[in-house]
Amino acid sequence: MAGVLKAPGAFAITPHKVSVCVLVQIYASPSQISIPFPFSSVSQHNRLGLYLLALTKSCDDILEPKLEQLISQLREIGGLLDHWLTDHLTSRLSSLSSPDDLFNFFNDMRGVLGGPDSGVMEDDQVILDPNSNLGMFLRRCILAFNLLTFEGICHLLTNIGIYCKEAISSCSSYELRRLDDSDIEVFADPKSEHNDKGRESSSYSSSGDLLRDVDLNGGVFLRTNWQIQGYLMEQADAIEKDGSSFTLNAFELTLRQLQKLAPELHRVHFLRYLNSLYHDDYFSALENLHRYFDYSAGTEGFDFVPPAGCNSFGRYEIALLCLGMMHFHFGHPKQALEVLTEAVRVSQQHSNDTCLAYTLAAICNLLSEIGFSTTSGILGSPFSPMTSVGTSLSVQQQLFVLLKGSLKRAESLKLKQLVAANHLAMAKFNLTHVQRPLLSFGPKTSMKLRTCPVTVCKELRLGYHLISEFCCEGSTMTTDGAFSTAWLKNLQKPVGSLVLSQDNSSRDNSNPFLFCTQPSSIPGSVLQLVGSSYLHRATAWEIYGSAPLARVNALVYATCVADASSSSDAALVHVKLIQHLAVFKGYEEAFSALKIAEEKFLSVSKSRILILKLQLLHERALHRGHLKLAQQVCDELGVLASSVTAVDMELKIEASLRHARTLLAAKQFSQAAAVAHSLFCMCYKFNLQVESATVLLLLAEIHLKSGNAVVGLPHALASLSYCQSFNLDLLRASATLTLAELWLSLGSNHTKTALTLIHGAFPMILGHGGLELCARAYIAEAKCYLSDPSFSVSDNPEVVLDPLRQASDELHVLEYHELAAEGFYLMAIVFDKLGQLEKREEAAASFKNHIMALENPQDGEDPLSNA
Amino acid sequence: MSSKESCRNELRTAIRQLTDRCLYSASKWAAEQLVGIEQDPAKFTPSNTRFQRGSSSIRRRFRTNEITSTPPTGVAYVSTPVMEEDEVIHGDFYLLAKSYFDCREYRRAAHVLRDQTGNKSVFLRCYALYLAGEKRKEEEMIELEGPLGKSDAVNRELVSLERELSSLCKNGMIDPFGLYLYGLVLKEKGNENLARKVLVESVNSYPWNWSAWSELQSLCTTVDILNGLNLSNHWMKEFFLASVYQELRMHNESLSKYENLQGTFTFSNYIQAQIAKARYSLREFEQVEVIFEDLLRNDPYRVEDMDTYSNVLYTKECFSALSYLAHRVIMTDKYRPESCCIIGNYYSLKGQHEKSVIYFRRALKLNKNYLSAWTLMGHEYVEMKNTPAAVDAYRRAVDINPRDYRAWYGLGQAYEMMGMPHYALHYFRKSVFFQPIDSRLWIAMAQCYESEQLHMLEEAIKCYKRAANCNDTEAIALHRLAKLHRELGYPEEAAFYYRKDLERMEAEEREGPNIVEALMFLATHYKAQKRFEEAEVYCTRLLDYTGPERETAKSLLRGMRMAQSSFPSMDVEHFHP
Repeated sequence: MAGVLKAPGAFAITPHKVSVCVLVQIYASPSQISIPFPFSSVSQHNRLGLYLLALTKSCDDILEPKLEQLISQLREIGGLLDHWLTDHLTSRLSSLSSPDDLFNFFNDMRGVLGGPDSGVMEDDQVILDPNSNLGMFLRRCILAFNLLTFEGICHLLTNIGIYCKEAISSCSSYELRRLDDSDIEVFADPKSEHNDKGRESSSYSSSGDLLRDVDLNGGVFLRTNWQIQGYLMEQADAIEKDGSSFTLNAFELTLRQLQKLAPELHRVHFLRYLNSLYHDDYFSALENLHRYFDYSAGTEGFDFVPPAGCNSFGRYEIALLCLGMMHFHFGHPKQALEVLTEAVRVSQQHSNDTCLAYTLAAICNLLSEIGFSTTSGILGSPFSPMTSVGTSLSVQQQLFVLLKGSLKRAESLKLKQLVAANHLAMAKFNLTHVQRPLLSFGPKTSMKLRTCPVTVCKELRLGYHLISEFCCEGSTMTTDGAFSTAWLKNLQKPVGSLVLSQDNSSRDNSNPFLFCTQPSSIPGSVLQLVGSSYLHRATAWEIYGSAPLARVNALVYATCVADASSSSDAALVHVKLIQHLAVFKGYEEAFSALKIAEEKFLSVSKSRILILKLQLLHERALHRGHLKLAQQVCDELGVLASSVTAVDMELKIEASLRHARTLLAAKQFSQAAAVAHSLFCMCYKFNLQVESATVLLLLAEIHLKSGNAVVGLPHALASLSYCQSFNLDLLRASATLTLAELWLSLGSNHTKTALTLIHGAFPMILGHGGLELCARAYIAEAKCYLSDPSFSVSDNPEVVLDPLRQASDELHVLEYHELAAEGFYLMAIVFDKLGQLEKREEAAASFKNHIMALENPQDGEDPLSNA
Repeated sequence: MSSKESCRNELRTAIRQLTDRCLYSASKWAAEQLVGIEQDPAKFTPSNTRFQRGSSSIRRRFRTNEITSTPPTGVAYVSTPVMEEDEVIHGDFYLLAKSYFDCREYRRAAHVLRDQTGNKSVFLRCYALYLAGEKRKEEEMIELEGPLGKSDAVNRELVSLERELSSLCKNGMIDPFGLYLYGLVLKEKGNENLARKVLVESVNSYPWNWSAWSELQSLCTTVDILNGLNLSNHWMKEFFLASVYQELRMHNESLSKYENLQGTFTFSNYIQAQIAKARYSLREFEQVEVIFEDLLRNDPYRVEDMDTYSNVLYTKECFSALSYLAHRVIMTDKYRPESCCIIGNYYSLKGQHEKSVIYFRRALKLNKNYLSAWTLMGHEYVEMKNTPAAVDAYRRAVDINPRDYRAWYGLGQAYEMMGMPHYALHYFRKSVFFQPIDSRLWIAMAQCYESEQLHMLEEAIKCYKRAANCNDTEAIALHRLAKLHRELGYPEEAAFYYRKDLERMEAEEREGPNIVEALMFLATHYKAQKRFEEAEVYCTRLLDYTGPERETAKSLLRGMRMAQSSFPSMDVEHFHP
């Protein structure tokens, strides 16, 4: 029933534990000699001991291994003894045929333990200390057995029967005792019926190992509530980290079985919700979310601390928070905001400050991710206490106020992860928004309408502090249940370093057990946050225009936190690195890197990698002059974005920016200008100022190409001022270059101005700009010189020739035919003036080649473009 | 429909055959229908018809159409030959096994029959094993109950039974009873498609086994599945269809089938109870009460379906009748879920919700999947202001039957109570999806939209419109529609709805502040529209009421007269365009 927290289940005796008891008995059989009977050496004896230790520790796992698995593990461990061990084990187990046998068995077990007066034992006598790990285990088993009712003993007996039969029916080499044919068939049958399901479940790896043995028939022994919760939490983390590595149906099947075994364990529904969420099944996600909170009122699981005031309300505000995030995930911003607003109200009503803090953070995230032109009518009364100045503020101002409030709340509640996340959000806000005073009346203070990179850095650094706090605290976040699952995983993981020496084993040493690897003490979620702080840094430097720093941060991320990162973040970092390659090293290298990334993220977050691929294809098509292909790719890119207004803004802007560029390349100037103009309107509406700078620059370029330099100038200047306010240094250099080109096209009397501008931008361009930008700058510089009437080519030809050569080298890598042709054309003119006819012909030939290539684009040379 | 006489003969044989195979509930059902057939008064003395007396009065009152026993045109009923008993050897072993079976010693019964190969013996052996497995399963469910709920206890005989029956089936050595059992086993194992096929085969070759029909019915969860069944026409099919229609909420179709069947089975208690249930779903409480009273007169120790009766008494707030019913059933059989449910209803009506919950819990202990007990318990928790527990109970109901609109509605209400109207909408949407003809659900949803927090009035109007279209007995929708339109500044629409509301209240002879409000609005509205004649009518009607409105009406009238007298030209213009 809701609101009732069940006590964690007790230690229950199961067939697997009986097996372990049998092995313990072998290990510690009371004898007078130092090495008991079956063992031939001390190391052999010790190896079994270590193995038993590991087994008892992993006994807290959710599902127990089958006898078959135990036997195969024994083979690894037992060395020469394995036959003896397995035979002994199976015969001992199958000799248990009546309840009385079980009574006797546990009585014998008592004998293995040393008595309380065992202090006087002889040195070389092997006897189990009751307080040792194995001794405790044995005592717990005996106690659990003694607590069983007679029915319980009968069930144990039946289960042992099933446990043995399963192992025997699957490996026929063992002699069948006491089993007639029909019984075996009884247990073999259900498997054949669920064959297809079994096949499904074999197709997944990460979660499959643990639960692959869940069978609808008997033979499955569930563990305590505690352990299953631990397992479920771990799975939840895994799904959130990398949802697509789970197959929808296989995991659903696992969960369904778990639910069948433990119908009162409601967290399963939450896992189902996550599973369908990450597989984009809206209806199932919605249904399961509601179901989970209906059943448990959010009060299930060990992360639940009963509130001090003992209110029986449940935690439905968390349901609202989750529902809001779900709508956000599916791209329903309006519903998300409505639900989160309700979450704020309900959290306030029930004074759940923690939930309130998280909800506010979620709203901030929503507002910053999705374009809202206005929040009026949505962000209503519940926000007025926070935005005390009323709702007349712009969305951005509201966002700022909310961010501040949320940060303060998180700090006062000591929610470290939330604080870190809020710092990151703040950094993001500061990166893209100019802070204006909230009140527009009163004496005007001197306003500095610029973003402040220092603040951004500070926020990022504060976000990063989180990791040091967790390093000091140790693994308080890891939960017992999850921990015990890790134990078993490590047991099965063949890893290099050896704990056990495999001295006299006749088998190869390739599969040793590693018992002692502990899970990292820093929780995965913290590492993810730290990782995303690196991603933010990389993005910040990208925006500010420092390519090397952006690259370095991306690399740090990829090398240090990639293991813990979610797959979408990892994909993002690959995208960044590949984009960098494309800009600085050309397409060939970028595409080969893309191939690797595609393989790596084969099933994972395909879209991001797909978008990158389309971007690269488009870029290259434009440079090569494949305008049809460019348009096609551009359309494909547009289709990927959601059809809902204001969702997937980034992608939409990208698509229409590229559309405008394609039109520009096709010399359809008025249409290009129209597309760019409407794009600018959209950016203005949603307050996307960084993007506005880019669009304005594009408009300037369109006017430049269409020969309307006078119209282009104000656009370039506007872009420049945006760049200045937002510290977009590289874009600013690029805008300066365009400005220079505009001046240049106004006539030869402006060459001085143009040249000064270019020279001013050169340090930035050469230091951080990509191949294309550098080449453009070189050519523009050469053009300036050439059109300057006071400049004489014959006096110092290298001043012109050198940049032109540089440019042609870089453009060759990019296969940018149009610009390369221009370069060679200029070169030919220079050589002509210098009277070097041979070189002139050479340059002219190159010019011709590029023009030909531009006019006859060759399709289909690259397999990637067909995809 | 076949003649009464042939039905009677068929049933008599069937009862013998069913009893012989220990299919007791099926034979009970058949026997009930047998005595439900109207006797030929010429042949029988009054003492023979004693059982059937005392019921005709209400039948005369409520029989809507005089049913004749002629079959509906165009339907040819196949006459299924009554099965001949194939086994001549009524083995002694069989007799022993049946005795064991009757003493509920199932495994012993099965053991006795281990070497018998006749169809009947095989069936009884398998059936006994099945029941033994079921019994053990129930016990294990209690034994294995852990902190995470009941463990997954299964009937351990299913696998071997399935194997044996399927091989018999393949070899064509199975009789309809065996097929029924095979279908049952398949259903338990989750193989629903094959189960349906097998059960259809069983009822086509032996239609008198009501248990087989019931199993088939539980597998027909949608109309499409039902239409996909290849059933041969037999009068038993009519019973089946009526029952399926009821389960699929096609109440009117179900009702007409039952009324048709009443032509032959005039005195069947079963049909009477089913009709009562269908009418209950159609909310015709008066008639349901009469039917149940009649039923109890004929069959005073009946517990089946009495929970529905108690629901009616609850709705009508008949304290003493409900307590009388509760007393009666508890004397008959205390440990029936229905009995507990009736007592729960009684306590709920008395306002003793804690006690009521105890009895609903007991009902659920007896039958975990007792749908209405979960829902009713949810209502109790709502009354006790324990919303999380209410939500939990309702959720269990919808997980048992996702089409239970009452529980969805309860969930919505619970969340609305907790101040989460947006969240509640999800549940209201579900509830109206499954029951779009219930105005109360639409009104609840509309009120949710109207709530202070959401204030989505356009959506509220849409819901009220739906409510007004489906026979809103409490007449809330029209009034709210008028009010909302007025508030949103649509006077024309507001006037339209006030007028409709007024008409309705007049028709139902209601009184109250709503009438005054409607009259007041209409009067002012028409005055503003310069439609003085209409305005005058409403004003005059207002004069019948006391209170400030009367004075306002007077002044309005005065104002209008002045306006009319001072601008006669306009008056002419208006009325004679």
